[in-house]
Amino acid sequence: MRLGLAIMLHTAVLKRAGIAAFLAIVVTGCSDNNASFSISEKTRSLIPEAQAGIAESPGVVALLDQKFGTPQTLKAWMKLPVQWGGAAAKVEVFAADGGEAKVKFTAEEGQTFPEKAGFVNVVTGAGAGKTFSVSSWDAATGEAVLTGLDGGSLAAGDICSIDGGSTIQSGRVLYMRHCSHCHGTAGDGNGPTAQYLYPRPRDYRHGVFKFTSTNDMSKVSRDDLLRVLRYGIPGTYMPSFLLMKDDELTAIVEYVRFLSMRGEFERKLVNELASDFSEDAVESRLKDEQRSDIVGELAKFLAEDLPGVVDGIGAELEETWVAADTEDARIIPSVPRVPDSDESRRRGRELYLSKTLNCADCHGIDGAGNGPQTMIYEKNPVTSVPYNEPGLHDVWDNLNQPRNLHTGIFRGGRRPIDLFCRIHAGIKGSRMPSFKNTPHEDIWHIVNYVLSIPFESEPGATGVAAAPAAAPDAAAAPAAGE
Amino acid sequence: MKKFWALFFWFWPLVALYLCVIAPGRNWWFPSKPLSTLGHQIDGLFYLILIIVTVTFVGTEFALGYALWKGATKNPSSRAWFSHGSHKLEIVWTIVPAFVLVFISLTQLDVLADIRVLSRFPDSVKEAPVAEVMARQFEWRIRYPKPGTDLMTSPQPGDLYYVNEVHVPAAVPTMINLRTQDVQHAFFVPRLRVKQDAVPGLVIPVWFEIEEAGDYELLCAELCGWGHYKMKARIVAESPEGVSAYLTRLEREQNEDGVQEAETASVE
Ligand code: HEC
Ligand code: HEC
Ligand SMILES: [Cu+2]
Repeated sequence: MRLGLAIMLHTAVLKRAGIAAFLAIVVTGCSDNNASFSISEKTRSLIPEAQAGIAESPGVVALLDQKFGTPQTLKAWMKLPVQWGGAAAKVEVFAADGGEAKVKFTAEEGQTFPEKAGFVNVVTGAGAGKTFSVSSWDAATGEAVLTGLDGGSLAAGDICSIDGGSTIQSGRVLYMRHCSHCHGTAGDGNGPTAQYLYPRPRDYRHGVFKFTSTNDMSKVSRDDLLRVLRYGIPGTYMPSFLLMKDDELTAIVEYVRFLSMRGEFERKLVNELASDFSEDAVESRLKDEQRSDIVGELAKFLAEDLPGVVDGIGAELEETWVAADTEDARIIPSVPRVPDSDESRRRGRELYLSKTLNCADCHGIDGAGNGPQTMIYEKNPVTSVPYNEPGLHDVWDNLNQPRNLHTGIFRGGRRPIDLFCRIHAGIKGSRMPSFKNTPHEDIWHIVNYVLSIPFESEPGATGVAAAPAAAPDAAAAPAAGE
Repeated sequence: MKKFWALFFWFWPLVALYLCVIAPGRNWWFPSKPLSTLGHQIDGLFYLILIIVTVTFVGTEFALGYALWKGATKNPSSRAWFSHGSHKLEIVWTIVPAFVLVFISLTQLDVLADIRVLSRFPDSVKEAPVAEVMARQFEWRIRYPKPGTDLMTSPQPGDLYYVNEVHVPAAVPTMINLRTQDVQHAFFVPRLRVKQDAVPGLVIPVWFEIEEAGDYELLCAELCGWGHYKMKARIVAESPEGVSAYLTRLEREQNEDGVQEAETASVE
């Protein structure tokens, strides 16, 4: 563009060329009309027939398209626990008058009318599948004036969806504007700016999120995602979106959940197929089988078993994502925080160094994030190929170094409950393990110790209670922290 | 045609004068009236300079038009007056602008000192920054001292943290410490007319007195990287009691242990 502008400043002939260049860039550069959800590498490792499908039976790519659509035409798989937006409603009164009609709707059970409404989709009845535009809408009474009937009609009792999908649509627009350059269009953590960042932006497709208030086996809750959006992740490139409006944030959260479920669906589906129908698997099977037989087996699988598999994955997604928002999933300490004191910190340090918890193995004796685990060479658990660099690796295959606890920056938040959750549930997807079997009181001692580490007079200055002779001295000396 | 150019150059100063007259009524100047005490002084300087340049512009354009008009209406056979190299003229048009510039620089010294020189800050704020505003690619991280204590340069136990929103008292002088964690940023609050660069390695005190309670937009005014546009935050000016209530709330939130929260939730 700068080139285009520079040319514009020159002679009259070049001026016109410059403007042309400028316009061309504007037209081609700024549209996302062709944005698509990228297909994961795992899917691409399947043989083409498994990706594309055989005859009438859809393959992975077609199924993804059927269930989730493309960024331009999202599809709502109603089974999934996503708040799509809008409301389902029943037609109570219908009075047509030329191309217009006055309609009164009643909201279906558990649904509330949206504040604004632009269109109505007919779900059941004679006009099913039709879309009408709404020229006036009263959310309080459910009265609407519909236009563009074109001979279509409604009858009392028909079910319609009013402004269906409005939340997910606005979530998509906001996500594409604010997040996709890091997190990628499909939420694969691979947007254009991602390669310059460490830690890498989250790849949502595992459905795994690090900083949650839920149990170690549970997914992330909506509140956790909202918190991350509001406050960002200090110490990383994940920025704060505090100034966004609440309804914008909730719409983005729904879209992030949608992308996560889409990614999980794809992974799980491919897992079902990969052992028999990946390029590698087929290559080794070809030693004693015919390719046509393998493809025949695949065709049978796609036609007969896959629908059941798809339903199963849908049910699993529904169950786990719903569960994450329930009280049962939430970590609630059984005892209040143990008041912070030198004694408690020393107890925390003792636990930190203990053989059973062994935080020092990763975080180092003094908490500098340089424990022995940072020096080992690991192998990729799936491919068994050793990583290039020493240290721990997370489920996204990125280097995942234990935190230096002296920085005073806590990515998941600095409230005592945040650190309690970090230790209780671990940091999901990362190598920070869960210590859920540790008594809650002990976790509080560790929290008190961890919170005091940035203020130690020197690294490792907190004594341990196990050395009784040292204890009185340490208590008499000015406290390391407060 | 010759006269056209004289009229042409007389036309523009008239346009400029017309714009000067109608602009205030149409709100074409600043985002709003200045809402801090320093803002009035800064706007005063702006208007002073605006008057000087308008007078200069109008004067020189009229003189130019006059010279052209004279040339256009002159008897073609009369001889031109050759002014190039006239010492008298050179001296006049060097000294007059020099005086104007010296005048401007002397008048603004006072305001500049009030903004920048710590010893001229109001006594009530000199020693008492209310918060540290740490710029970072691409957000503003705020650190308040634990209520009842002073802000230290390095973080202290009990400090309170927030991001992209800073609460300050209205109607009294207030000072914050401006820092950056990475590259150069700039703390810019358009409605207060406050603008100060944040420079790596420096702790820069910035003071202002916000006249009206309300929300003020804080922007980064130094192109600091690709995410520069994201560096938008909110300054909330409220009564001193409002600020301390806010800090109490923040302190309670920051000490949340998840147990009281659950209890109050079940009581409600
Ligand atoms: C500048 C790049 C960038 C932008 C823009 C960005 N993020 Fe992130 N995001 C990150 C990085 C980096 C992480 C990973 C931090 C980590 O692993 O500790 C992350 C992590 C996350 C997480 C995971 C939190 C967890 O607990 O695991 C979510 C959710 C998220 N971002 C959502 C969003 C949304 C929604 C937007 C847009 C409104 C957004 N991000 C914009 C870089 C970005
Ligand atoms: C197997 C290695 C390992 C062990 C053992 C371990 N950690 Fe970690 N810890 C990590 C890693 C890796 C991270 C960084 C995770 C991330 O953000 O991706 C981490 C992060 C943390 C954080 C930072 C949380 C935040 O919000 O920024 C704290 C605090 C912490 N660990 C405390 C502990 C304590 C206390 C123990 C012992 C009870 C412990 N860790 C045991 C590997 C470990
Ligand atoms: Cu900046």
